[in-house]
Amino acid sequence: MDIGELFQIAILLGFASAFIAFLGFVLEKDDVHKLVLTDLIAVLTLMIIACVGTDLAECLILPALVVGVAEVLAFSELAVAKEKTRLGFEEKTQQSPLNIEVLKTSPNIIAIILILYGAVLTGFTGGAVAGLGMLYYLVCRWEGDITKSFWEGVGAVSGVAWCLWIFGFLLFFIAPNLWLLALFLAGGGILVKVASKMGLIGIEGKRSFRSSGGRT
Amino acid sequence: MIGLGESLIGLIKLGDIVLYLTPTTLTLFLIAVGFTVVMALSRPETQVELVFGMDGYKKSEIPMGEIKFRRYMAIVCGVATAGTMITGDIFDFALFVTLAGIADVGIVAATKKPQVLDAAYQYGMTLMIAGLPLFGAAALILGTTGTLSLHELDTIRVSGVVAVLFILGVLGEIGVAPFYAAKARLFRALGAPYIIMIHVSTLLIIVRTVEIIVTLL
Repeated sequence: MDIGELFQIAILLGFASAFIAFLGFVLEKDDVHKLVLTDLIAVLTLMIIACVGTDLAECLILPALVVGVAEVLAFSELAVAKEKTRLGFEEKTQQSPLNIEVLKTSPNIIAIILILYGAVLTGFTGGAVAGLGMLYYLVCRWEGDITKSFWEGVGAVSGVAWCLWIFGFLLFFIAPNLWLLALFLAGGGILVKVASKMGLIGIEGKRSFRSSGGRT
Repeated sequence: MIGLGESLIGLIKLGDIVLYLTPTTLTLFLIAVGFTVVMALSRPETQVELVFGMDGYKKSEIPMGEIKFRRYMAIVCGVATAGTMITGDIFDFALFVTLAGIADVGIVAATKKPQVLDAAYQYGMTLMIAGLPLFGAAALILGTTGTLSLHELDTIRVSGVVAVLFILGVLGEIGVAPFYAAKARLFRALGAPYIIMIHVSTLLIIVRTVEIIVTLL
């Protein structure tokens, strides 16, 4: 099939899905469901941009995604404020952002998946993904205390990993024939470093989130 | 010959992004910047209401936090409008229009009253839906012509369907903003004078959209 025809079919499919989403939006009466449907429409926007399929389209997806996420965040805040005003909530009501059921049940499996996937990815991206898994688990589930030696231990692991990363980079220039070893040293080092840093953020986040009330 | 501006003052080439200056866009840009400065410096209005049946009056108090938030959003909206005026890239135009729309929602939503927040929420829904035709039109322009630069699009014809989608997008993002501001009944002291930014940005962006449509077709 010709690539131009493919483009036309993909764009038509995108607009057809958008039409279905619009119909759903028209029929829906509940405010929160409408917000979810507008998020669906934002995703369809991304799909239509992705149909272009060049590297320029790849750069355009990111700002469009950011716009969509920013809008959903802003308008969900707006919906919360609206409901609070309508119900006459007081502004100072104590709420824990962690008091949601899914945050108590999901961390185990999601953390394992993210850490394994991060280990497969290696490098900075892998570190970020694995660290995100650690952060999620630590914020939601971890009940232990942070001692001084624990904190310093994580810091030391992070420092050693950083040395491995630097050594890996040096090895690229000193002994280029050992490139595979150097690649794994650098990739593994930055993985451990970024992941441990994000884990520390998770510990801090747990302390500050949970002290704001709600779940003990 | 570019759009309404007729004569090209100059091109600013920043790599792939080519900004172009015409008398129209330059004037609109200066209006947007000047009005943003006026908004940033202007002081909020206090509404005085007469008390019925006696010789007295009362002031309606607006919390300082609301005023500060509304002024901040007005400045963001002004900057986004100025960016819309000067940009030479149709995707940047779409992003700036969206930013101006979000800032408009912020200006409307600063007041903690049910009917105002309802109007702001409905405007927000409209804005998110309108993102599809707007960005969809930008993607279609890129897919069919291979460029996003308005300077090059001047010589290429784009199909009318894309132009209609583009207009729909801009109307939904920011064209309906004064309607929702009126629906929230913000024109008196509640929103003054920052609410005027909504109207200025809508007017300027619609003028610029007309210029872009003339360039495209």
